[in-house]
Amino acid sequence: MSEESTPLADEEEDRRLMGLVAAGDDDALRLLVHRHHARLIGYLRSEVGSQATAEELAMEVFIRLHRAASRWRPEAKLSTYLIHIARNLVLNEWRRRSRKPTSALESAPEPGDAAPESGRRVGELEEAFSRAVAQLPEEQRTAILLFVQQEMPYEEIASAMGCPVSSVKTWIHRARARLKELMLDFYGPES
Amino acid sequence: MERRPAEHFDRDLEAALVRGRAMPVPGFAGRVVTAVHADRLRRAVIRWGSGLSAAAACLVAALMLDAPSEEALIVEARSLVAAEESAQFHELLSLADDLALLQPVIERPALIEDLADGGS
Repeated sequence: MSEESTPLADEEEDRRLMGLVAAGDDDALRLLVHRHHARLIGYLRSEVGSQATAEELAMEVFIRLHRAASRWRPEAKLSTYLIHIARNLVLNEWRRRSRKPTSALESAPEPGDAAPESGRRVGELEEAFSRAVAQLPEEQRTAILLFVQQEMPYEEIASAMGCPVSSVKTWIHRARARLKELMLDFYGPES
Repeated sequence: MERRPAEHFDRDLEAALVRGRAMPVPGFAGRVVTAVHADRLRRAVIRWGSGLSAAAACLVAALMLDAPSEEALIVEARSLVAAEESAQFHELLSLADDLALLQPVIERPALIEDLADGGS
């Protein structure tokens, strides 16, 4: 029998763990955080451009999740709910700073970014994409990050962003178009 | 840098973004549990603090309601003053209880007496 988990089994496990968290089970909370923190921090880092800030915000997301555990109803996937909280915190963070991040390169370089010569070109391209994504308007950036990076379907993105599916599709379309403009120097003409 | 075929754009975008999809942080779950405990304690302190403040406010309100109001004090003061004034008036007026004091003293002038006698 296969041990591989399915999305449905994952959702079921999340519900079970949330029930335990609501009852004050710290081990369940630890397990829940372990299951979700990596992707949450990945998303937050792409949004705010700083590993430290991303970790701080992710911490706050889980604290808020814990506070709401007894009231939580599994109407949406837990991961979608986490992204919803995270996005609100990101918006608050920008309001607090009164500016948007100008570049995703505020963060420290990843180990191995500079070392191999063969990877330098790929690194430059990724860096350019990161800069371009950081320049997108807020809704477009969030939508493209959730769609491409987090592989979320349109419906879940709409739920996380609290908007209609049609808006999500529009933002993603515009984000792609804008990114193509910003990355014009890297690509030849379309055939 | 050599320009890449435009057809590679979507693939490159995905590759660039997917690289940052998951950022596992060792020990993060433990940090969250510690932070949650601190948050729970902080909220308990706030809850107790607000409860004690409400109880203190109730106590003060009860004491205030139990004490006579400002209007009642004014009415009481007025009645005392009125009683005091009344006693003074009574003391003064009791001397004239026989009304003699209040009866006007009318002395007929001598001229009128003479005229009255001469005319008769």
